[in-house]
Amino acid sequence: MVYTKKHPALLIMGVLFLGVAFLTSSGALDGLHGFLHNKKYLGEVVGMGYAFGLIGVFVGAWHMWGSHEEGNLDYYLSTVAGAMFILLIAMLIRWYAAPLVAVISKSFGPVMGDKHIHKVLGLNYVVLGILAGIVVVNAFRIPHWAENGVRLSRLGLKTGVILLGTLYSFAELQQLGKLSVIMVGFFVLGSVGLVLMLGRMRNIPNSMCGVLSAGMGVCGVSATVAAAPVVQAKSVEIAYTIGTILLWGVGCMFLFPVVGHVLGLGHIQFGAWAGTGILNSAQVAGAALAYQPDGIETLKVAEIFNITRVLFLPIIVMWLAIWYVKREGEAASGKINVGKVVFEKFPVFVLGFILMFALSSTGAFAPPNHYKGKYFDNTKVKASKMLTDEQVGKLTAEADKLQRADRKEALARLLENKKIMSLEDDAAIRGLVNARIMSKANNKILKKAHKAVRHTAKMVKKFRQWITLLFAFGLTGLGMQITFSAIRQAGGQPLIIGGIVGTVKAVLSLLVILLFVSETI
Amino acid sequence: MQIAKIILASHGTKGAIAAENHALDMANDYGASLHQLLVVPDFWKGMMGDDWLNNAVTQIRFGKYVENQLAAETAEEITRVEDMAKSRGIAYSHHITLGKPEECLIDACSSNSYDIAIIGSPRPKNVSGYRSRMKLDPLTRALNIRLLIIPYPKP
Repeated sequence: MVYTKKHPALLIMGVLFLGVAFLTSSGALDGLHGFLHNKKYLGEVVGMGYAFGLIGVFVGAWHMWGSHEEGNLDYYLSTVAGAMFILLIAMLIRWYAAPLVAVISKSFGPVMGDKHIHKVLGLNYVVLGILAGIVVVNAFRIPHWAENGVRLSRLGLKTGVILLGTLYSFAELQQLGKLSVIMVGFFVLGSVGLVLMLGRMRNIPNSMCGVLSAGMGVCGVSATVAAAPVVQAKSVEIAYTIGTILLWGVGCMFLFPVVGHVLGLGHIQFGAWAGTGILNSAQVAGAALAYQPDGIETLKVAEIFNITRVLFLPIIVMWLAIWYVKREGEAASGKINVGKVVFEKFPVFVLGFILMFALSSTGAFAPPNHYKGKYFDNTKVKASKMLTDEQVGKLTAEADKLQRADRKEALARLLENKKIMSLEDDAAIRGLVNARIMSKANNKILKKAHKAVRHTAKMVKKFRQWITLLFAFGLTGLGMQITFSAIRQAGGQPLIIGGIVGTVKAVLSLLVILLFVSETI
Repeated sequence: MQIAKIILASHGTKGAIAAENHALDMANDYGASLHQLLVVPDFWKGMMGDDWLNNAVTQIRFGKYVENQLAAETAEEITRVEDMAKSRGIAYSHHITLGKPEECLIDACSSNSYDIAIIGSPRPKNVSGYRSRMKLDPLTRALNIRLLIIPYPKP
């Protein structure tokens, strides 16, 4: 079968990318960029515009006029049109639509404290990208020439998670790992158990109970897909469950950031809550990026929770398989091969994440003298990077807002030396920034103080940029796979039980996070 | 009224079973042949949703599993109606297709010369089942033959 479609779409998209890059680099769009306040993206517009434009034009020309024969080359190159389609939508939203939404939102003035409506609702390029994807698939359908490549969004997300491995320190991974195993362990097992209990009380079939408990407990649609054949779910049960989970997941992606802003959750608190309370793993990433579009701290926390959840998946599938066989007896077909279940369901991309983390820990992505001596040697920090007297005054005025001893001490040393003096102080100051206890202006000063002693290596910075782009690409593409007709299938007992368990999980996990999770990690 | 070929759109719900019974009676009365159209709703295409964590093996297994389930369900439906038709000596044929119910019925009617199409009524709101309904507006606008809608059976 020849997969490549003779269609001019890719060529046109390539020309569009080139056009935007050319107009931007020539300054013809300066007025527009000034109006949209999107100058931070200009480098990206030009660099990516030319790069993807050229790829689009060359591969597009081959699609149109090349001779296509069955084989690997035909298959792989046929996916470029779909990938470029997602990329074009994701980037136009990132560069133009999201800044426009921000401009409009700002024109209404702040609605919650100093926050504007787009911040409260999390209407940034990620959420708008997912929404655009949903609109494309439901209102227009995916064009036939793009169908093959749209599936690459999954690869984009997995690559994003793998690269994310470069951004964790050992201490972060250790602490977040511990927290996520406790939280996810408790809430995953708790929700699976609760669904099984409610299912028995409401007398629903074991197959429905099994597939619903996996979906509600572990990682939404992914767990349903993995568990359905194991518990021999009927088609209507699968439809009900997936519909319920998609409905819940999309709803949570919009609701969680609003609640997070209302409660003033820090990045770690929000990441942990989203990673525990949102059923569907794609929407966990979406909510994390909606909450903090210009940084990656929330995503880092949320993804550790996602990874922990997916590591629980083989265990839960195995548990359900054993449970199902026990309850159904002879009606259940086949024996359970524990090794096979674990092997097949193991998420291989997690190994990539671990590998990147290991490489990053060895310093493979940072020059050897990158962090040397800046904490305790004042000569290493330029005078212009030290705090000014005015900044010291501003921070001192808000110092009494602090309650924790480690933060108070770290701030006192910062005020005294006009720079951060140790790794521990740096961690405490970063925690203080993440907790957003001080005013916006003072948080900026603290961030500057952090950057003066510790800046990200160039390679890691690149990874950071690629991670955001890969997630924007992946989530926009996944939006194109959420159909209203699938969501409409939400119903029956799964909707009732799912509603109860989903709400209990979201509320309880929020309480636990508010009570026990601080911003020191 | 001459009725030689009846097309019945049915998929095993209570409303559809009422339509099946009426179609069988009508075929019997008029000596007509009965063609059953069974539509597998196309929302199944999007049922993998936004799953991105599973590997290809798991996704393919799920796809095959769902396909087998749907095939078994449709085969059961076809056999049920076919047996009833045979027992009454009615000439029976069937066609299974994937898509939107009204579009599939319009296609089937335009590609064959049926005299009448028979469908069931939508189920009441509190009755569970797939949310995939025959949309009457596009159907009645495009259909080129008579359409008979059988009322939903009283409880």
